[in-house]
Amino acid sequence: MEPLLRVEDLTTRFFTEEGQVNAVEKVSFDVAGGDVFGIVGESGSGKSVTALSLVDLVDSPGRVTDGSVWFRQPEMAERIAEDQPEAVDGEMVDLQQLNSRERRALRGSEFALIFQDPMSSFNPSITVGEQVAEAVEVQKRAKANPRALRSRTQGFGLGKFLTTSMVPTVDYVSDEAHARAVELLDTVGIPDPAARATEYPHQFSGGMLQRAMIAQALATETSVLIADEPTTALDVTIQAQVLQTLAEIQDEHDMTTVLITHNLGVIARMCDQVGVMYAGEFVERGTLEDLFERPTHPYTEGLLGSSPSLDAASQRLQPIEGNVPSLFDEEMDNRCYFADRCPKAMHECLTKPETYDASGSESHSARCYLATQEYDSADALPEGYFDD
Amino acid sequence: MRFIRFFLKRLVHSLFVIWGVVTVVFFLRFLTPGDPTTALVSPDAGQDVRDALREELRLDEPIYIQYFEYLTDLMVGDFGNSMDVLDRPVTEWIFSAYLIRSVELALAATFVAVVIAIPLGVISARRRHQPADYSATLFSLFGISTPNFWLGIMLIIIVAVPVGFIPTGNPGPLFYQALGDAVTQGNFGGLWDWLRHIFLPAITLGTYFTALITRLTRSGMLEEIGKPYVKACHAKGLPETLTLYKHVLRNTLIPIITILGLQLGTLIGGAIVTEVVFEWNGLGQLLIDRISSRDWTMIQGIIIVIGVSFVVINTIVDILYAYLDPQVIDQ
Repeated sequence: MEPLLRVEDLTTRFFTEEGQVNAVEKVSFDVAGGDVFGIVGESGSGKSVTALSLVDLVDSPGRVTDGSVWFRQPEMAERIAEDQPEAVDGEMVDLQQLNSRERRALRGSEFALIFQDPMSSFNPSITVGEQVAEAVEVQKRAKANPRALRSRTQGFGLGKFLTTSMVPTVDYVSDEAHARAVELLDTVGIPDPAARATEYPHQFSGGMLQRAMIAQALATETSVLIADEPTTALDVTIQAQVLQTLAEIQDEHDMTTVLITHNLGVIARMCDQVGVMYAGEFVERGTLEDLFERPTHPYTEGLLGSSPSLDAASQRLQPIEGNVPSLFDEEMDNRCYFADRCPKAMHECLTKPETYDASGSESHSARCYLATQEYDSADALPEGYFDD
Repeated sequence: MRFIRFFLKRLVHSLFVIWGVVTVVFFLRFLTPGDPTTALVSPDAGQDVRDALREELRLDEPIYIQYFEYLTDLMVGDFGNSMDVLDRPVTEWIFSAYLIRSVELALAATFVAVVIAIPLGVISARRRHQPADYSATLFSLFGISTPNFWLGIMLIIIVAVPVGFIPTGNPGPLFYQALGDAVTQGNFGGLWDWLRHIFLPAITLGTYFTALITRLTRSGMLEEIGKPYVKACHAKGLPETLTLYKHVLRNTLIPIITILGLQLGTLIGGAIVTEVVFEWNGLGQLLIDRISSRDWTMIQGIIIVIGVSFVVINTIVDILYAYLDPQVIDQ
């Protein structure tokens, strides 16, 4: 089956005053319709930037410099095939080659995002119901008139803002959208949704607000959901509940999901496919089973070893020594970026490895020499090799 | 209900503040050398004349008696009589055209500031580091660093004198009277007269304010734009204008409203320089006039009125704030 989303060599860089930061480096993955693709990695490994790059929301001075995000959207493919043949491949459209207005139009109609911190991702001075209803309204208008992108913005300038501030009945958001927002809040398990809809974000608990954000994502009836650490800011018990809600909704609506997390437990529970990210690159990618049963990259092994499991309760957790490397372009050597923390670093690792198929399966790949050869301790780098 | 409680709380606060202002202003007079009799009586007059006058003005009473008498009189709205132009109640002076003119000028200056500054700040933030932004920044710098008296005089020389129909001084008719004429008799001459008189003073008084609000709007917008909820707005595909005005500008205006309120209070009492330059005959000019003659009751009255307008404006601002920022009421 053709994937719904195919990311090829996605590269995002930040051009800061201190230098160039290679936040995301040639990341590629496919997501089939209805699947959940998980991206896991430490803080600073480029997970979130990858998520934002997919929908072109990277803030300046960051920019997607290379790569394609192919997205199956037959209508659009047909429409732009003539003008931009290079941006169309069958039913797939390359979002990176669309103009920014078309790309923007896909947000909220085809792509929805859930952010890490619900408290700051809602406007503190507008009611939660209103903010969810906005998402409903965007989708409604996009659907009513998919071609005329301008229809969404039409008639909402400064003048309209001033009139709506004075006459609250005139608004961008229609009554039906408000009603739908209340339904959605009910769907995600918020009790007494009609009353809660009129409350402000600060009157919500973190878990409830994250549910509201899921409702907001659901409002868009999109095909792709991008969840950037959806449970990180929540208490552990609440995390489980919110995750449960997310899983149910994902299941029910058959939403294709890209899930970003640093939590392997979340990955194991939700995902079909997983990419392990390190220093802006995918170091290993495969099905859930591939990664948990047959980890190839020592980093993946390290991650698994550093998370608690019930089966091996007696063992001590094994932390991965050291820190993530600097992503400044000038400080990055042309070697395996993990070599300095790797317990199995070899002399080959001083040359950057390619991505190889691992464990004989087509879906499983790793950017590590160990995918093609056995670890040979005779070839190991001497201890403290990278210390200076 | 929460809102009413919030309002009552503010009201009680305000009463205490006003009482504080009255007390401080009253006792400040004992820190200044001399008394009204020094100014009123000719230097050659004997001590007996002075004492008679002091008795008449009840300045011979112990200070606490004077204070309580003053307070009880204030309760019923009696500010006493002027100590300079005797037998004329202070209220008659203040609540005549003087106060109205000052309020009119302050409101006009604020209007000028808001109408120019907020759009300018928004444009400046949207086109950051582009020519429009640099021009706005230059303008703000000019506005913040230009003293009122110089600007007023320059406007008189550069605008009023060559143009001719814009007066160099003197207040025109009062706004409500001019408006009344326009409404009841269809006579718009009065409104035009009012407008051409207040034009330059309002610009003079409002320039600093305009510059300040422009800067605040710009930096406020930029700060808000960087917040995660704006990214969330983009993520849900909300139109850019809607994100900018409904979400960002609204949150930017919350702190600006506070500054607006504080500044409006300053403008009512603090337009002294502008009032003198344009011979505006407002409270500021009256205050300067009376300080030189040590007209204590008048000075007290004017300062109390200015203080009260500060408090009233800030109470209104607080209420507005609670409306704009729902988090305030709960705190």
